Amino acid sequence: MKKVMYLEFERCIGCRSCQAACRECGGHDAKERNYVEYIDFFESRQTFPMMCMQCKDPACAKVCPANAIQITEEGVVLSAMEEKCIGCRNCTFGCPFGIPKFDFEENKMYKCDMCYDRTKYDISPMCASVCPSDAIRFIDHDEMMELRRRRTQMNLIEGKKPSENDKWQYVPEFFGVYSD
Amino acid sequence: MKAIEKSFNSKASMNSFFVVIFLFFTMWIGTGQFTKVDWMLFGYMVASFIFFIGMTVRLTSWVMRPATHEMIKRSIQNMKAKKRQKRNVKAIIKTLIDNIILQKYIFKRGIYRGIQHWLIAWGCIGSLAITFGLTFGWMHFKLVDATTYQVVVFGVPTLKMHPDGLLAGLIFEGLNITATMLLIGVIMAIVRRIKNHDTQVTQRAEFDLVPLYILLAMTGTGLLLTVSYKLLGGWMHPQFQLLHQVTTVLFLVYFPFGKLFHLPIRPMAVAVPMNYQEEPGIDTKECVGCGELYSSDDQITDVQTILGKQMFDFKTNDGHQLSDYCPACRRKIRVMSQLNMKTPFGTSAEPVQTNNGIHIPGFGRERAETFYDAKGEK
Repeated sequence: MKKVMYLEFERCIGCRSCQAACRECGGHDAKERNYVEYIDFFESRQTFPMMCMQCKDPACAKVCPANAIQITEEGVVLSAMEEKCIGCRNCTFGCPFGIPKFDFEENKMYKCDMCYDRTKYDISPMCASVCPSDAIRFIDHDEMMELRRRRTQMNLIEGKKPSENDKWQYVPEFFGVYSD
Repeated sequence: MKAIEKSFNSKASMNSFFVVIFLFFTMWIGTGQFTKVDWMLFGYMVASFIFFIGMTVRLTSWVMRPATHEMIKRSIQNMKAKKRQKRNVKAIIKTLIDNIILQKYIFKRGIYRGIQHWLIAWGCIGSLAITFGLTFGWMHFKLVDATTYQVVVFGVPTLKMHPDGLLAGLIFEGLNITATMLLIGVIMAIVRRIKNHDTQVTQRAEFDLVPLYILLAMTGTGLLLTVSYKLLGGWMHPQFQLLHQVTTVLFLVYFPFGKLFHLPIRPMAVAVPMNYQEEPGIDTKECVGCGELYSSDDQITDVQTILGKQMFDFKTNDGHQLSDYCPACRRKIRVMSQLNMKTPFGTSAEPVQTNNGIHIPGFGRERAETFYDAKGEK
């Protein structure tokens, strides 16, 4: 897998297409695994899309008492294995980003797996393939770096100079899995 | 205890040693000081020992994981606490009936999957119980007189029965019944694995498929034995017997390493109602940010201990841990820090600033100089 997910929260228009697309995905039982939420509804109508970061060292997997959360060769963090998950919800509390969801009916956890069946073959995940405002993109690593650079330049034009250690805070979030 | 552990290569080898000693002890009692060992089952016996060693090794390393260790520690604490006895008993009975005997949650994932899993699970547990009971000599049958059979368990004579009675029939046909359950269940499982594309995305041959095929081979050859001696007058019985033995040995040795290993892990589900959630879906702990109920105090303490043990540092600016916030607040924290809006989340009386001043507002409109003055960043 060479491509990465690239998120620009400000571009989100709150149409929730990504959630609808997620629901359509096979094996999701018509339940979406990503989020679209308001940053602060009383302040503005700005929404943001949110999906799993696919951490290299996932806290969710480390707090799972049943060892149910597996990581694929490519680095995608999968939903809890249905046969092992005991339904304790430790993962939902351990995750620093609040990503895993829990199904009380079927007693299992489910989370964004970056549409592993698609991204494995460098096909864009469902959410990125439908996003009309390019808030979620699935792009080459080089393209991502280019976008980040341009973004930093825009910030400089704006008169905002990154200080010593927060350079990365001036560029949008990207994540992805690299098989190195 | 430490001294004993040091004399072994590892904790797993120590535990395996004690398990093997214990099994020998039960054999010694069951077979009347090794006088009634069924040597026809010797191959199965050796494989059963390997099965138990494999299980012990896997379970030892599993319990040593910080997350598992913490959960088991709290469960033991709660089991001992006098105040919680009522809740403990309720949790154990409820989990036993709902999750293990009836497996209700799997039926909710689909009737087909429910039936398939129930058949495999109870077929497996039943077959394993009978296999171990016979190979280790935990039980055997004694002829009391011409028309009475007696079951002897661990050297203690128990049930008496007529050899042609219903009870005797059920006991003698025990393995055939469980094998039939297994055969139906396994075929259903394999059909699902072939037909359902969703399962194929994450399934792994060595983990998901091999155990199923070994199970199929084992039940197939096992039932073939019955067919051979009941219908074919014992045709090829020794050869089928050997084939069945080989597949069973394979199954027992592979069991701890495939997906069937979830069998000994499942009972830990009792820890959920016992330690964390008395009623499913009802939370008691408040989020530091929005005040919404999202978990229980004990669970968050445990999660934080586990994270701490593994060097995860999720402290926020206001001195809390990220797990003190509800998932929705944590998602907001992530977005806000990415948008460079690092207000002390949740403690600020002011509304959250959603315009971070970095990106261009209103599609390229120039910003007044006063904006930067106000922020004190000239």
